[in-house]
Amino acid sequence: MPRLEFGHWVEDVVDWLQTHLSWLFDLIKTVLDGMYHGVDAVLGGGEPLLMAGILAVIAFWLRGLLPGVLAFVGFALIDSLALWDDAMSTLSLVVVAAVITVVIAVPVGVWAARNSRVSAAVRPVLDVMQTMPAFVYLIPGVMFFGVGTTPGIIATIVFAMPPGVRMTELGIRQVDEELVEAADAFGTSPRDTLTRVQLPLALPTIMAGVNQVIMLALSMVVIGGMAGAGGLGEKVYAAITQLQVGLAAESGVAVVILAMYLDRMTGALNQRVSPLGRRAAAKAAAAVRRFRFAHYKPGTAVALVGVVVLALVAGGLNLADSQGGGARAGAKVGAGKTVNMGYIPWDEGIATTFLWKELLEQRGYTTNLKQLDAGPLYSGVARGDIDFQTDAWLPTTHKAYWDKYRSQLDDLGGWYGPTSLELTVPSYVKGVDSLADLKGKSGTFGGKIIGIEASAGEMATLNDKVLKAYGLDGEYKVVSSSTSSMLAELDRSIKKKEPIVVTLWSPHWAYGKYDLKKLADPKGAWGKGEQIHTVAHKGFARKDPTVANWLKHFKLTEQQLTSLENEIQGAGEGHEQDGVKAWLKKNPGLVDKLAPVPGGGGAQQGRDAGKTVNLGYFPWDEAIASTYLWENVLEDRGYRTNVKQLDPGPLYTALSRGDMDVQLDSWLPTTHKQYWDRYKDNLDDVGSWYGPTSLELTVPSYVKGVDSLADLKGKSGTFGGKIIGIEASAGEMATLNDKVLKAYGLDGEYKVVSSSTSSMLAELDRSIEKKEPVVVTLWTPHWAYGKYDLKKLADPKGAWGKGERIHIVAHKGFDRKFPEFDGWLKHFKLSEGELASLEVEIQKGGAGNEKQSARHWLDAHPGMEDRLAPVG
Amino acid sequence: MLQAEHLYKVFGRRPEGAVGRLRAGAGRDELRADGATAAVIDASFTVEPGEIFVVMGLSGSGKSTLLRMLNGLLEPTAGHVRFDGQDLTALGPRELREVRSRQISMVFQHFALFPHRSVLENAAYGLEVQGIARAERERRALEALDLAGLAGWEASWPDELSGGMQQRVGLARALATDADLLLMDESFSALDPLIRRDMQDQLLELQKRLKKTIVFITHDLNEAMRLGDRIAVMRDGRIVQIGTAEDILVTPANDYVAAFTQDVDRSRVLTAGSIMADPDSAYGTAADGTRLRTPEDVLAAAPATVTEDTPIIELFTPCATSGTAVAVTGEDGELTGVVPRTRLLAVLGEPMAHDQSHDGSGGVPAPPSGRGDDAQGKVTAGA
Repeated sequence: MPRLEFGHWVEDVVDWLQTHLSWLFDLIKTVLDGMYHGVDAVLGGGEPLLMAGILAVIAFWLRGLLPGVLAFVGFALIDSLALWDDAMSTLSLVVVAAVITVVIAVPVGVWAARNSRVSAAVRPVLDVMQTMPAFVYLIPGVMFFGVGTTPGIIATIVFAMPPGVRMTELGIRQVDEELVEAADAFGTSPRDTLTRVQLPLALPTIMAGVNQVIMLALSMVVIGGMAGAGGLGEKVYAAITQLQVGLAAESGVAVVILAMYLDRMTGALNQRVSPLGRRAAAKAAAAVRRFRFAHYKPGTAVALVGVVVLALVAGGLNLADSQGGGARAGAKVGAGKTVNMGYIPWDEGIATTFLWKELLEQRGYTTNLKQLDAGPLYSGVARGDIDFQTDAWLPTTHKAYWDKYRSQLDDLGGWYGPTSLELTVPSYVKGVDSLADLKGKSGTFGGKIIGIEASAGEMATLNDKVLKAYGLDGEYKVVSSSTSSMLAELDRSIKKKEPIVVTLWSPHWAYGKYDLKKLADPKGAWGKGEQIHTVAHKGFARKDPTVANWLKHFKLTEQQLTSLENEIQGAGEGHEQDGVKAWLKKNPGLVDKLAPVPGGGGAQQGRDAGKTVNLGYFPWDEAIASTYLWENVLEDRGYRTNVKQLDPGPLYTALSRGDMDVQLDSWLPTTHKQYWDRYKDNLDDVGSWYGPTSLELTVPSYVKGVDSLADLKGKSGTFGGKIIGIEASAGEMATLNDKVLKAYGLDGEYKVVSSSTSSMLAELDRSIEKKEPVVVTLWTPHWAYGKYDLKKLADPKGAWGKGERIHIVAHKGFDRKFPEFDGWLKHFKLSEGELASLEVEIQKGGAGNEKQSARHWLDAHPGMEDRLAPVG
Repeated sequence: MLQAEHLYKVFGRRPEGAVGRLRAGAGRDELRADGATAAVIDASFTVEPGEIFVVMGLSGSGKSTLLRMLNGLLEPTAGHVRFDGQDLTALGPRELREVRSRQISMVFQHFALFPHRSVLENAAYGLEVQGIARAERERRALEALDLAGLAGWEASWPDELSGGMQQRVGLARALATDADLLLMDESFSALDPLIRRDMQDQLLELQKRLKKTIVFITHDLNEAMRLGDRIAVMRDGRIVQIGTAEDILVTPANDYVAAFTQDVDRSRVLTAGSIMADPDSAYGTAADGTRLRTPEDVLAAAPATVTEDTPIIELFTPCATSGTAVAVTGEDGELTGVVPRTRLLAVLGEPMAHDQSHDGSGGVPAPPSGRGDDAQGKVTAGA
């Protein structure tokens, strides 16, 4: 039989869709996310008990007093399990998915009922939707829509659709044909037959279908937790993958409560919406004689009033809440920015992810955590849905993912290592200490090695290398299952004291929990250990340089990691963050070490916070440096900034008109004299932050014996007779040729090569690289002095003239408009070293990243921010 | 006036071709071998305004199919249906719906009431389809319910009513639209016998007042005889005989009809006029020796004198008390015939097929041993 490359075709199609229809997927994602967030805001926004009250009133209305009370108790239980938000997220997902499903399923069902050909075409499609394992389309869903609610909703819709369609078709087809004929005999049009006869009579069956849709949606939403759909599904998924039976049971109970509520309510809804249902209900009510009050159901209007009152109370409380919250919001590094983190439910992943969640929240960030499988996690990071994850085992375990997505990922470095992979037996298994000892002992272990997921890199290494190296491949069978099953099997065996050999790795909490023995690997078949890396979405460093910087410097020792893991274990399932808090308390100062606040002391609001400052600059190095430095400082102080690059002429014009508030790079009294003279009536000179500037000839420090311009005389051979100049039009070039060379009698000996500033710098760089002597035309301040070890040639005769100062020039009245900022600027000073290092940092960061580079520089200079912009 | 002209209905493959073959004389079984089922074959008849026309036949004889072609629920494979001069078979779906909603209404075997509507809403259904305003249609629906004997039940629901009452709702629904033509598809078959009889009486009562044109389908010959002004007997898709109740009883067109009518209570269906012999057959010497030579003699000697439409069950007592024939008189009191004892008894015996003849229009049969005309194929299409 020829091998049918069906899988390849599917992959091709998926690729094609990804590249060509991404706009469509984005649109769908936007719509679904919007619907979900809207519904979630309503359901999850209120005070839990009030929401429970609303849901209970609905139950009272639909089913009577007792179900209403039970509904309230059930939802109160969910709240007391601290699963309220998750339950409401799940409910929102179900509502959105079910509404969309019904909106699609009912018309399709109607169509299929009226047209046998459609029915025949729809049936196999429904079969596929119903039986195709959910994971098969959940993962492509992640590729198309990213991690989050959307693939979960899509998968739910796919899974829940069939009963909706089938029951609608069945309901309409089973309407008595004589009734349809009767309608026809009285001249009813097909459309009216549908709406007046078929749909009302099919409604009980359709509602049974809707009920099925909702129940299936609920069950699928749990699976959707794997794709990061959130809610109870995520909790359940997290719990089972970590063997947290207790948490799993709690979440399970919450799911069951939701399921029962939804099932009973949709069942009862039939009695309210369908005429047949109303008839049946009326009959049943008439039959009841005793305990009539227990069967009392409020009328629709009464119930509506109840719901509205509770909703208003909930809304009012919310409003009061948010007003209270607004006052305590302080300026923090994160300023409410959201960081999305994902993690694989491995112990060190959980520990570090919750550690960063806590750190980031302390720094004012909002965090989103998602537990995912490795595949969805990497694709989520690659897409940018997730900003970073801390549990990338490189280079081996996650090689496949890293290779696939590396172009969209940034490796922020390893924080722990080396790790190891191993086969492990309980300590009570005597006589097996090394892999070689396993030989011939297959009878003891039932010929089985308990593996983990077949897709794991460790499994491949085990099968391909380790077993062969020790000649075990014929003797043992590696049972691939899942990490949680492996651990469960390990637990079971240890309880019974049975021999077992499992695939494990270090670090792993199992080593802390059980008394285990790693089997030695004298042949090194497992290969070298790995490092656990932090991997971020490409561009995360630009989006949030501060966090990226923290992560780059993130390191944990084995002792720290184990103690953190222990603390988290101790805190118990579902309370990971409390464990992190306790651990941080025992490690004072670690917060500031792991996540140092830029500027050292923690940013504070300025007095004029909220005002917008318009900063202008022209593209000179010190202008760029100082402007972006101040942009960062101002933002930390709560100001808003507008930064615009302009040429000097337009910039001064804009300043005089008030379109711009301030610029930081006015060379006075000489260079910008013309502009100053022209506009000075409308300008304020705030002060000078740097000076004096100077022009000079410069040589690398390794050029010995040349310290002054006079020393150049007679050394033209050393420098090839050339002085590397800049643009011929520059004022400095004129001064050099007309005055300096003449003053020192160099004009016959040296030739000034005019080129451009960048060529001059390139030549300087090249020469320094080769340690060749070179003399260049330079000026101060310039970042080259920070980057290279240079020597300014002294000018004892003062041929270069007096230096200038760099002033800050603002629109008239700047001191009244921004008194605080004006005060800061008046005291603004940078030393030559500081300015040079700032310029170098910006130079390194490259064009477009000036602001982030300035932030790095600020971070590297603790206390600088408070020096520049003191508060209070 | 409702006219059916050479209606054919064939289900299955290539129905038009099948009609051609039927016209050429092919039988039903030949068609079935080719995957076509002939439900109605060459049916023609005319129903006069105000007439109750009963189509009678066993299940599978095609009577329900024939009925559904009359209001266009089924499209005839060939032939035409004309109602009030309009060719229904030529109408489009929209116009046909219009005709059904205003001019033709229907009563079903299993009532076909809408369970999600109250009695009043059911009765008003046809009017609702016509687009009549709520107040008006409820008024007319109440009137119709009143006619059907259901005054005071309008707020009930169908599932609260007995079968007979449910069918009254069905009847009210059909009457409410004021349609001229009423199609009744085995409408009383699902009811138990006493209720059925009540309903039949009620229908006859209503018909006296309303004078609708009614086509009534039934498999029950007694019901057909009771209700039908004229009866069409169907077998295997074909109409084998059309005539009054007496025609069919007294001169069945073939063995099938004869067998069919075997169990009918002739004494209640047949009338004196339909079995009487010529007056002169009574001439001669009576049992007591009286000589009878003139109609007056016959009238004077007869134990009783009855009109032509008297059911023969009323003749038994006079005949039993006297050997002399009972005299039958016309509307003017003239002697039109006599019923001697021998003839009365003979009529209740085996049907008089084969050797019988009739002229088809008068419905008056010839004497039992009359001229041996061949009755086969003399089914007429009525007036």
